[in-house]
Amino acid sequence: MSPYLEVLLKALAALGLMLVNGVVLIYMLRKVLGHFHLRLGPMRVGWHGTLQTIADVVKLLTKEDFNPSLTDKALFVVAPFVVFVPSFMAYLALPFHESLKFADLDNGLFYVFGVLAIVPVGVLMAGWASNSKWSLIGGMRATAQQIAYEVPLLLSVLGVVLIAGSLNLAEIVRTQQGLWLGFIPRWYIIPQFPAFVLFLIAGLAELNQTPFDMSEAESELVAGFVNEYSGMKFAFFFLAEFSNSFIISALAATVFFGGWLVPWYPDAPAWLCAMVFLIKTYVGIFVLMWIRGTLPRIRIDQLLAYGWKVLIPASLVWILVTGFVLKAVA
Amino acid sequence: MPFGTGLLQGLSVAFRNLLRGPITVQYPDERIELPERARWAVRPKYAEDGAHKCTACMNCVRACPDEILALDFTTREDKTKHIDSLTYEAGACMMCGLCVEVCPFDAIKMSHDYELAVIDANEMLEELLADVDAASVRKERPETPVAGGGTDVG
Repeated sequence: MSPYLEVLLKALAALGLMLVNGVVLIYMLRKVLGHFHLRLGPMRVGWHGTLQTIADVVKLLTKEDFNPSLTDKALFVVAPFVVFVPSFMAYLALPFHESLKFADLDNGLFYVFGVLAIVPVGVLMAGWASNSKWSLIGGMRATAQQIAYEVPLLLSVLGVVLIAGSLNLAEIVRTQQGLWLGFIPRWYIIPQFPAFVLFLIAGLAELNQTPFDMSEAESELVAGFVNEYSGMKFAFFFLAEFSNSFIISALAATVFFGGWLVPWYPDAPAWLCAMVFLIKTYVGIFVLMWIRGTLPRIRIDQLLAYGWKVLIPASLVWILVTGFVLKAVA
Repeated sequence: MPFGTGLLQGLSVAFRNLLRGPITVQYPDERIELPERARWAVRPKYAEDGAHKCTACMNCVRACPDEILALDFTTREDKTKHIDSLTYEAGACMMCGLCVEVCPFDAIKMSHDYELAVIDANEMLEELLADVDAASVRKERPETPVAGGGTDVG
């Protein structure tokens, strides 16, 4: 096969995964949150509302592509793509199985965080270009928050990188093969539990998820930076948001929960491994939704103080501890 | 209590809620059974032979705080009455039930018809009875139990 065709097919596959994942996650979010609230969620379109998201997508696609008159036209149009594209690019590094990955990047973990760091730029562009105070405040908050929490997010996985000795996500999974004491899977969640807690908290903030959904904050900012957006441009923001939850959850599964490895079944076939990886990822997403359905939003100053004064020092201390222990063991 | 346990408690409460199952009633497909004494739109009550029991005494019309009941009748020479119309404006009714309470002949009831939405506002004005002879007072007077019993008060 021509290498160009191969790259094109891989990109299309990643895009397909992203879109299908978005459709599934929107349905899942509405159902899960509904049941947390003792409601049913969507029930009307299709069996138990399964076609609801498709109906919504059709609605968004057929809506007028509307630009409010006083927006900064160029930035307003570009912003959704600046948010969408990094999220799409991050799929490149995720390994679904030894034989099933888009690319084998030696610095995969670094690459994912690198491209996700572009997202706040798009969010700030959207907030600024909308020329609305709610959008601007939302965009500013999102930027301050995501820059503050990217640091502990990256620091929290460095402990694992120290143990695995690699930034390659596939390699990190490979080092988690085997069992401790014959029955405990050698997942990094066990030696690195504090790091996982830090990763979860920083990940929630990175995803703009409750309790850290400062940039949208419905009760204060209406919809934050997406206020002035409608139709497909709005859909791009939300697609990126759902795809980011998938990526963060998939990263957590890869780094802390053994990625595609099936516990107690080392010779699992490739399809089962990929399924197990997806199940782990979706359990992670369910936990995110569970948190979203439970906890109230905190204030922006509390959020930033917590990020800079607690999370970053805590993750630095944890890296130090991990380093010392590794040296001592060696 | 150690720091952070409140968060975990909150999560466990939310999860228990998840397991409780939804309490939504999907209205057009399923309906809640109304309590027996639910008060909805006023409707005439009929005897077993299908005859209405209204004697055109006007008590309900006078009792209605919203003045939404209207009774037009003509009295014939032999003192019998003919009901031209008994109208009821459901849109303005507050379902207080005073008309039913005050009716001496048990001729109207608070029904269980609660789906009262209409397309045209004029449809809110309902005719409960139209162009019928009023029931005879003598026939419709409910039998009063008499102390000591036995004697016919007819």
